[in-house]
Parts: sequence; C-alpha cells; structure tokens
Amino acid sequence: MSTQLLASGVCKRFGPTIILDAVDLAVRAGEIVGLTGENGAGKTTLMRICAGLLQADSGTIQVGGRIGYCPQIPGLFDLLTTDDHLVMFGRGAGMSRDESVGRGHALLEEFGYPLHEKAVTQDLSGGTRQKLNLAIALLSDPSILLLDEPYQGFDRGTYVNFWDHCETWRQRGKAVVIVTHMLAELARVDRVVELAAHPSRAHRWNEA
Amino acid sequence: MAARRIAIMAEMHGRDLLRRHVALALLVALPFSFYLASAGSGQGAVASGGVSMAFAISGAALFSVLSSRAADQRLVLCGYRPFEMLLGRLIFLGPLALVMSAGFSLAMALISEPTRPWVMALGVAVVALQSVPFGLAVGSAVPRELEGTLVLIGVVGIQLATRIDTVASQMLPFYGPRRLLESSLAGHGAIAEPLFQTFFYGLALLIAARLFVSRRVSVARHDILEGAGGGARRAGRRRHARRRGGGSNGTPQRRSAA
Repeated sequence: MSTQLLASGVCKRFGPTIILDAVDLAVRAGEIVGLTGENGAGKTTLMRICAGLLQADSGTIQVGGRIGYCPQIPGLFDLLTTDDHLVMFGRGAGMSRDESVGRGHALLEEFGYPLHEKAVTQDLSGGTRQKLNLAIALLSDPSILLLDEPYQGFDRGTYVNFWDHCETWRQRGKAVVIVTHMLAELARVDRVVELAAHPSRAHRWNEA
Repeated sequence: MAARRIAIMAEMHGRDLLRRHVALALLVALPFSFYLASAGSGQGAVASGGVSMAFAISGAALFSVLSSRAADQRLVLCGYRPFEMLLGRLIFLGPLALVMSAGFSLAMALISEPTRPWVMALGVAVVALQSVPFGLAVGSAVPRELEGTLVLIGVVGIQLATRIDTVASQMLPFYGPRRLLESSLAGHGAIAEPLFQTFFYGLALLIAARLFVSRRVSVARHDILEGAGGGARRAGRRRHARRRGGGSNGTPQRRSAA
C-alpha cells in the first residue's frame, strides 16, 4: 500500500516551550495508526500540523490525497442545524446541496444519529455533536483521516461502533490516524506511535 | 463554484443571525434608543442617532466573524477561500443594514423633520453600510469578543463625542456619513465628497479585514507525494491558502534527524 501521509522532521515550539522535536510519521493507505502520549506531548499539535491548520517551525508534510480532520473540540455553529452544517461543509468540498445532505445523512445513520431531530446544534448532546463533527470530517470521502479523540461523549454502543467503522475505513484503503488514550483499543490499530514530552519540559516539571 | 460557496456562506450566516431573536430586537432597539434619548435636545439627535446605527450593525458584523472562528479554519480546509467567507457575510449583512437604515430614516424624518430628509436617509444608509466592513475588520483583527467590543465602542463613541471639525473625528470611519447627516440639518453641504470618502475608507477596511482573516485562517498546502493520483492533486489545489516562503507547509526545508 502506498504512503498517504508523510511527516518528516516536524518541529514546533510555542515560545520557549518545545512541543515537537524532529517528529517523523508515515501512514500508508489501509493502515490505522494510534497516536498516544501523555498530556501536552504534542499529539493535537502534530495532527493540526498534518492537517495544515498550524504551521510547523521546520520539517515537511507530504500527502497522497484529501485530508479529513476531526478536531477534539467540534467547531460547529451553535444556531445552525445538522443539515445546515452538512450543506455548508459539503459545498466547500464541491458537493451540491442534495449530495451533501444525502451523503451526510448516510454517514450519520451509521453512527446512530437522531436524524428526526431538527434542532440546532446548541440543543444537541455532546456525543451527538461529536457524531456530526466526525461526519463532517468524512463528508468529502477523504483518503487521509486525522481523528483527534473523535469518540468524546459517545455512549458505549457508538464507541464500539466507531472502532468497527475504523476497520471498514481500513478496508477501503484510507490512512487513519487516531489520537487516543484508550489503551484497551490499541489492539485494533495497526501501529502505535507514542509521542513523548520533550525532555526540556519533563525537566521543568521535575523541578516544579 | 466560488459564487455558490459565497451564497451558501451568506445563507448560513443569515440563518445564524435570524435565529438570534433577542439580538435582532436589540439591533433595532439600540439606535432607536440612542435617537429617542437625545431627541429632546434638538435636531442634533439626527446626527447622534444616525451614527449610533454603527453600534448595532458593526456589532452584528463583529460577532458574525468571532462566533464562527472555531469553524473558519476547518471551512478553509474543506475548500472555502478566506475572502469568500468574508464576502458571504458582507452579502448578507449589507442588505440587512440597508433595510434597517430605511426604517430608521423614516422614523427620524417624521420626528425630527430635517431640512433635507433624503440626505439624512443617505447618511444613515452610508453609516449602516460602512459599519459592515468596519465590524468585519475589527472582528478579524482582535483575538476575542471583549477586545472587539471595546474597540467598537471606542471608535463609534469617539465619533459621536467629538466635534465634526476635529482631526480625531476626521480620522474615523464614520466621518463621511456624519457630514451627510449634519448637512441634512443645515440644508447645505457637499454630498459627493463624503460619499467618496466613505467608499474609500470602507474599501480600506475590507482590504484590512481580508488581510487579517487570511492570516488567521490560512491552511498550509502540503506537497503531493510522488505516485499519488489526480484526486490528490485536486485536493492539493483546492486547499488554496498558501504560506509564503519555505517548504511545502510554509516551513524551511530543513530536515531534522529522527
């Protein structure tokens, strides 16, 4: 399988704090990589750099296709409905209104989303919002999926269902990176990459 | 395709604002309150009421930028251009501002009976229109709501508080419309000059908003891996926001040891 995401020598610091120091990451098509590490190790920073949302200080990112990014905190519009979101994000990806809603509903049904509810997102539960967040990442059928703890707020059934979907995405040849702290599920990924906090920061914590 | 993306952006920002019923009521009530509170002090109420329209409209524009900040970069990632997002807001808020200014002008014309009511209506409309790029520029430049609100109150407040012939007044974005409002009371005064003045100030504000918003929501365009198909190249092209200089993600092409 061909490489879909290749991060080489990625460095990032915020002020004096080194977050990432020459990090490499390669993900092939049809591979699921679990990205783990302690709090502040730079997992979200690396995901944001790979998605293009954050600029690295040095290093390069190369991709083999479209990226779908599911952030840890869903950036949704409080007073728009599910369909509004699907149409808006779908249009950005070049889809028509009907196509966006049709494809979005199909994705949401897979996660047990209550499609009969026409509420605006501020009236939805945290888990339901997260399902919409995930569906938006998948809407344009990306070949690379960057999922930053995408199951936050999911109930038990949806959580299990999510990992089943990962298997489906793998079979469809997608390159998937999942930030996770769920060690019990690491058996379901092909490879685990652990990001360690930079020694300079560990030293500072020890002093404190 | 760009036109469709702009239209969707306008539609969604419209839906978002129209569902904020209390905010809509305040949008109308705020300039009216300002005007009615100063109506007893003579015809000067027209100028202060007209300029106070800026509080409402620029506030709406400011919050349309700030409330969507968490989603903006993701929208760019999925294919929007920063300028399309800005233009979408402008296309919704511009007509809304004109509708509000028409109702407000009618009320002020009936109550205050200015010498040249049509110039007053023009002045209020120009205040309303100028407020949109002003609110967009402030919203794009400031980090959070508090800072934006303070800038907005400061600028419009100073415009209201200073005499029209002062340098401070002339430097501010609502100087042109205020001249129109004053001349509607005096019965004489230039019209074309304040209009041009406001137009160029508004254009500068839009350019500033464009620069700030591009800087804030830019998404790096990564290099395509060798052997990747056309789909990858299309995806790369769609992710348009570019960083200047350096490597694929705008960074120096330095390789670190793994």
